[in-house]
Amino acid sequence: MLDFDKLDKAIHEKGRLAIMTLLATRVSWPFQDLKTELGMSDGNLITHLRTLHKLGLVAMKKEVRARPQTSYSLTAKGRAAFKDYLDVLEQIVKTGKR
Amino acid sequence: MPMNERPSAEENLRVIRTLMERATVYRAISAPTALVAGLLSISAAAAIFLSEANVTVGRPIRSRQFAITWIIVLILSLAANTFFVWREARKTGRPFISPGMKLALRAIAPCLLIPAAFTGWFFTTGYLGGEELELVVVWVAFYGLALLATALFAPHSLAVLGWAFLFTGLSVPALVNWIEGLPGDVPNLAMGITFGLYHLIYAAATWPRKRASDAAQIAIE
Repeated sequence: MLDFDKLDKAIHEKGRLAIMTLLATRVSWPFQDLKTELGMSDGNLITHLRTLHKLGLVAMKKEVRARPQTSYSLTAKGRAAFKDYLDVLEQIVKTGKR
Repeated sequence: MPMNERPSAEENLRVIRTLMERATVYRAISAPTALVAGLLSISAAAAIFLSEANVTVGRPIRSRQFAITWIIVLILSLAANTFFVWREARKTGRPFISPGMKLALRAIAPCLLIPAAFTGWFFTTGYLGGEELELVVVWVAFYGLALLATALFAPHSLAVLGWAFLFTGLSVPALVNWIEGLPGDVPNLAMGITFGLYHLIYAAATWPRKRASDAAQIAIE
């Protein structure tokens, strides 16, 4: 029997799911790139990133190049949580098809 | 809950897939670069055509001048591309040499070795035999191969452009008897059609329009 409560509620929210997805594709993402790619407002994106950071799913790194830049990446815990989330989604789809 | 979750799960998987595909796509040739390259190529082909018709220059253009003209077009196109990439990097705060660019350069570089060597041979020996058509075939075919080398992470339009160049390059040896019977400067015409017209069509087809991707829309709902 599939346990649907395994679906990570922090990731299941659409904005955070999009962020986690992008972070899973590269080593790290500058804040500006995430904003451009997702079309989110600064406030909305920061709120979601803060939530994920507090949960230990996302790491943050501040750099000063031509201008200050904050980059985000998945932590090992975040990567594992994202993989688990995908596994559960896959199970839901498979179960529904039977 | 389980049955209600299925459409939502499918939708989320679709969003994940779309975002992942988009995030890993790198367009090695932007539409503005293609526009500049296309216009420069058409201009160069027209200038060579006119010089051969003795309209602007007193004598027909020579083999090495032909190659130099097109190398200048290449250099100007690369300069334009560098400017567009730099401008985009400055606007968005991204690094000038992005991970996508590094990946594309690594994929493209091997495909440029033979054209570079062939061009070197043309300048030292090949020009004596007037081998412009062979030079053009190598340039066109290997440019197509270079574009196709990025196909795994490039948008579909770039792969189509690559195939168009490759097939055009391959068709020349197959149609050599027919081509030799054509009046006019076939190598110059081939350069004008491929690097000029193909790039202009690509630029028109891929020119950035206001993007309202459904994936992004879902993400901000």
